Amino acid sequence: MSLSVLICDDSNMARKQVLRILPESLSENVQLATNGVEALEILNNQAIDMLFLDLTMPVVDGIGVLQGIKEAGITVKVFVISADIQPEMQNKVLELGAKAFLRKPVQLDVLNSHLKEHGII
Amino acid sequence: MNNVNLNDDQQDCLQEIINVAMGQASDQLARYLDTFVYLKVPSIEQVSSQHLSDTLKSEAQSVAVVSQGFFGYEGIRGEALLMYQPKDSDRLADLLGYEPDELSVEEQIIDLSSILTTTFLNVFASQIDNQMSYSAPRLLFSSNADNNTSSQSSISEHIQHNAFNWEVALKVKISYQVTDYSFNCDMILLIPESAIINITSVIDRILEDY
Amino acid sequence: MSDNPFCTTIAEQLNTGILILDLEYNIVEWNRFFAIHVHKNLQDMVGENVFTAFPELPKKWFERKLSSVIQLNTQSFCSWEQRHHLFELSHTRPITTDSHFMAQNCTFLPIATNKINTHICILIEDVTDVCHYQTKLNKTLEELAKANRIDGLTQVFNRKHWEECLDKEFARARRYDHGLALIMFDLDHFKLLNDTYGHQCGDQVLIETAQEISSLLRLCDQFGRYGGEEFAAILPETDLAGALDVAERICRAIEKRVIKFQDKNIRISTSVGVATINPEDKRYEDLISNADLALYEAKETGRNKVCAAKEIELILED
Repeated sequence: MSLSVLICDDSNMARKQVLRILPESLSENVQLATNGVEALEILNNQAIDMLFLDLTMPVVDGIGVLQGIKEAGITVKVFVISADIQPEMQNKVLELGAKAFLRKPVQLDVLNSHLKEHGII
Repeated sequence: MNNVNLNDDQQDCLQEIINVAMGQASDQLARYLDTFVYLKVPSIEQVSSQHLSDTLKSEAQSVAVVSQGFFGYEGIRGEALLMYQPKDSDRLADLLGYEPDELSVEEQIIDLSSILTTTFLNVFASQIDNQMSYSAPRLLFSSNADNNTSSQSSISEHIQHNAFNWEVALKVKISYQVTDYSFNCDMILLIPESAIINITSVIDRILEDY
Repeated sequence: MSDNPFCTTIAEQLNTGILILDLEYNIVEWNRFFAIHVHKNLQDMVGENVFTAFPELPKKWFERKLSSVIQLNTQSFCSWEQRHHLFELSHTRPITTDSHFMAQNCTFLPIATNKINTHICILIEDVTDVCHYQTKLNKTLEELAKANRIDGLTQVFNRKHWEECLDKEFARARRYDHGLALIMFDLDHFKLLNDTYGHQCGDQVLIETAQEISSLLRLCDQFGRYGGEEFAAILPETDLAGALDVAERICRAIEKRVIKFQDKNIRISTSVGVATINPEDKRYEDLISNADLALYEAKETGRNKVCAAKEIELILED
């Protein structure tokens, strides 16, 4: 079964970094967004199973996206992938409903163990 | 002017490496200083030596500037300038965990500068499989001792009085905001053109992997 | 210091001190340079706490510094410009400098075994030389800057610096709508004094008059030699009445003062012009012109007196 996936990051390289380590079941139906506004637009109009979300972005940042998801009552599993790894920030995103916090640059084994933990693969 | 412009992919890659370095450095700092460090998207741009003083002048009125040189393998080198705003120095000793009478304001500023520069560049270097060395940080000027009327133009004056042996430099500006202490400081990395070429080739090697 | 023979030789020959501590601040190793300058044998000191061995170290500061090196895994520095020295060491220029201890630039390095920091290396560079010459240079620069501002004979501000001060005070008074007064002094019959008693006597009179006036001004007033026997004072935030009062007191004090030159008692007087900033003044030079006119009036009407600049009558239209 292939899941619908959205990768939201302002960096092209960071999006590619995630894309190339996604397991097969997640890599068939992937959309990309370069900021929070684009991500919320897609999330409001389509059913997305899995969102990989960066935090530090222009226009609307990752925190804004998490708040938007909560307000609109959208069901989507969110993995935050961020360079800002201070404990205070990690707690904040988990409180806002993210399933996991992964540090950049994201590693294949780390991603897989989190995906397994949440029953996605 | 030499052609040392970064293309979109190179710029994006450098930006991402800097983001990650910033993130890890801030985390280390936050733990060491026991406070939260707020991160903004860093800016990367090219400056000509003629325009450097103008650009720095627009960086508001700094009261103190500390310079520290850095150098790594593969010809990667540059100079970091740490610029402090007025009022910020009041609570520095507190932030650094020293007793205020243990050290002068100048020493506090130099100490923090060195911490900010080296933590960031150490992570930056490790991402590109490099290793940095540093010169001792130096206070270029501080308006604490002088009369305050002349402080505003001091950094640009200081830079204007030097004849540069480079034409173009890459300027990376990172703003640190320490929330508990409402303290701000800008770190400006200046990488001369010969080193930009070396950085570009490192970036291209990383991009080839994608 | 290492199994590598090069490392051992170089570390022992290096003109830089190397001191290695463990994480409890106990001394593990030091090189020959350090040993020579502390006059102690390493064998006697190994295992000893650094604060016991060197009680001069600022303990709290030193501990915090070292904790940053370990925790942030990065090098740290300490320059003679902020701290002349950390360790009380002898140095290589005991004869030709006045430095008691070696001026030091110190570098703190984390040392890791298997990626875990286990030791701290402190590099101690002797910069007594640099310190000596830099201090001399700073002193010379200070003297130069002072010479640039001071009149060599009377030791008050020279004309150039005094005018710069007036320029600033004028702009400040304009900006904040503050008062500003200017007093100009011209010694009476000074040429005659020179011709009668000689220039050395004239110089003595200038020096003592400048001292007298300085002593009667406030700290915030700026006083300078404007020309040959002319002096001028800037009085910030002062109105005409206040300035006239000061001017009058100075005028009387100079009149009373007896200046001794060789065996003679010399007495002198001064004419004084006072002006305050008024809305018509566009530039600080206008203020000088007004004070100058008042001074001229004092000279014309008998000398040894104070005159105020004529108020410009402002006719307000209804």
